[in-house]
Amino acid sequence: MTSNRSSRKIKDNIAKILIYIATSITILTLLVILGFVFYRGLPGINREFLTRMWDDKTTIVTVEKDINNLENKSLNYVPSLGIYIDLQDGNVVITGVEKKSPALNALNKKGEIYRIKKSDIIERVKKIDLREATSLDEAITAIEGEDTSLDLKIRRPGGGILPMVISTLLIIVITLVVALPIGVGAAIYLNEYARPGKVLRVIRFAIQNLAGIPSIIYGLFGMLFFVQFLKMQYSVLAGSLTLSIMLLPTIISTTEETLKEVPNSYRQGSYGLGATKIQTITRVILPSALPGILVAIILSIGRIVGESAALIWTAGTVAQVPRALFGSGAAAATLTTKMFWEIQEASNIDTATSIAVVLIVLVVLLNLFSKLITNKFLKRTGTGK
Amino acid sequence: MNNNSKFSVEDLDLFYGDFQALKKINMEIQEKEITALIGPSGCGKSTFLKTLNRMNDLVEGVTIKGKISLDGKDIFKEMDAISLRTRVGMVFQQPNPFPMSIYDNVAYGPRIHGITKKSVLDEIVERSLRQAAIWDEVKDKLKKSALAISGGQQQRLCIARTLAIEPEVILMDEPTSALDPISTLKIEDLAVELKKDYTIIMVTHNMQQAARISDKTAFFLVGEVVEFDSTENIFNNPKDIRTEEYITGRFG
Repeated sequence: MTSNRSSRKIKDNIAKILIYIATSITILTLLVILGFVFYRGLPGINREFLTRMWDDKTTIVTVEKDINNLENKSLNYVPSLGIYIDLQDGNVVITGVEKKSPALNALNKKGEIYRIKKSDIIERVKKIDLREATSLDEAITAIEGEDTSLDLKIRRPGGGILPMVISTLLIIVITLVVALPIGVGAAIYLNEYARPGKVLRVIRFAIQNLAGIPSIIYGLFGMLFFVQFLKMQYSVLAGSLTLSIMLLPTIISTTEETLKEVPNSYRQGSYGLGATKIQTITRVILPSALPGILVAIILSIGRIVGESAALIWTAGTVAQVPRALFGSGAAAATLTTKMFWEIQEASNIDTATSIAVVLIVLVVLLNLFSKLITNKFLKRTGTGK
Repeated sequence: MNNNSKFSVEDLDLFYGDFQALKKINMEIQEKEITALIGPSGCGKSTFLKTLNRMNDLVEGVTIKGKISLDGKDIFKEMDAISLRTRVGMVFQQPNPFPMSIYDNVAYGPRIHGITKKSVLDEIVERSLRQAAIWDEVKDKLKKSALAISGGQQQRLCIARTLAIEPEVILMDEPTSALDPISTLKIEDLAVELKKDYTIIMVTHNMQQAARISDKTAFFLVGEVVEFDSTENIFNNPKDIRTEEYITGRFG
């Protein structure tokens, strides 16, 4: 009896230790990865990294000079343009723009207003190349000439990830707008309308298996169908539609699980009051299923943000803010595809890890945001805690 | 008395697939009375109750033969289930308030039938909650979740929810079986109060309850109505030996 008891106790302790070890390995691994990403990535994150475009952009603009302004505030002040300049690494950099500066109303070659900003670089004034400038005076003399209007070649420095942040958010929104109604609708059909039987079992089996298919296969389909056959080219729309198809199985399964958990007594109570089926679904069942639908949304966001294979051949890898939803100029790299590209093509590990930090923060923020909205809604329906 | 018949049931047979759950039921249910349906588990009394507002339509594989009329109109041929259920409300065994506020629960029925004006809804909600004898307990927390009140209160809320659609008949499927004795008494008093305006048909496992509050009692056994008479006769002077054995507790 006693030996049995002590051997049981030993077994119990061994099991406990094993469980502790498993847990520690998991947590340690996560901490090491997070630690590495933040250690390598954080130094590269600053305001410029978050707010600038990826590529440098050069624009030729025309500025009307303010010849009446003769104030001389300091050595690096250019009165006729109302700007401050400085010489940094051989570049003439604008370090400040006054509120009433004519530089804010510069026109590009298409005649559109181009607001010259702080940290823009002046590369050329009229015909005078300033890239080799050795002193500030050289630049100031070039600008303060006789003419009333000036042609400037402005280079706006890049090095930021703003286009990818915008593209990522855009793709998340479009994908969810397309996939959620279809997925939730299909789940409602499967759980509320379809007759149980062989056909339904086959459909469910198919959906469950679709959820497990590697995303590159969806990417291949998206490239052949959306990009080539429908002539969308590499574009946010082609990428979002591909992701929508990829996410449908997950959304359908998750939503259906929640619908199954809505007690039948709610349905009976509603029918018993003379409600129609669609009234019962929209007013009782869907609100009760909302937390589960939120899980589907969070899972979807996670997969969209994390996806690279399905997007590289559908949305492209151009680091730009898309100028259209499809067609030319609509290609857009998300943070993750850009990160993949940086590692694969540029071997730029530091930038890649900085993007990783932004990705992690973005996912956490989006999840918190979704939770907040659902809690608000639950409180309104009176089921929140 | 017979011309006050609310429900008239003629030769009703009901099958779940091949299984016959109700056999040749004939019954006249009187207006503004409480009719109790008693019998052992599986005798078909709940099935019968659900047939009266066609809740059985929702079950797969049900076939129904025979005729049920409400005020002389065939509920299967001359009415659709939706309008039938607004005339014949139902209170279930387990209190089943929706996961919304107390107010929204009561307003649910009027809203789905197209009432949207707030003042009208306010008035209906208050009247229904008063009728269900729960107004004083919940009037300060109408915006609170209906799931946060006690089981007995939830059941009276469900009765109020049914009253809000102004039905003519209220079906109650063992409405007190999940409740404590005090809540049970409240529901019983409420039923007696409500029969002034409504016809009530109640399934119950509790024979004292049937004896206390009902005017008529029907005893069901394996899908048949063994005896249907005034409650007094059923409990004091049963004609069938099986009724006597059941009410004296020899089986069931």
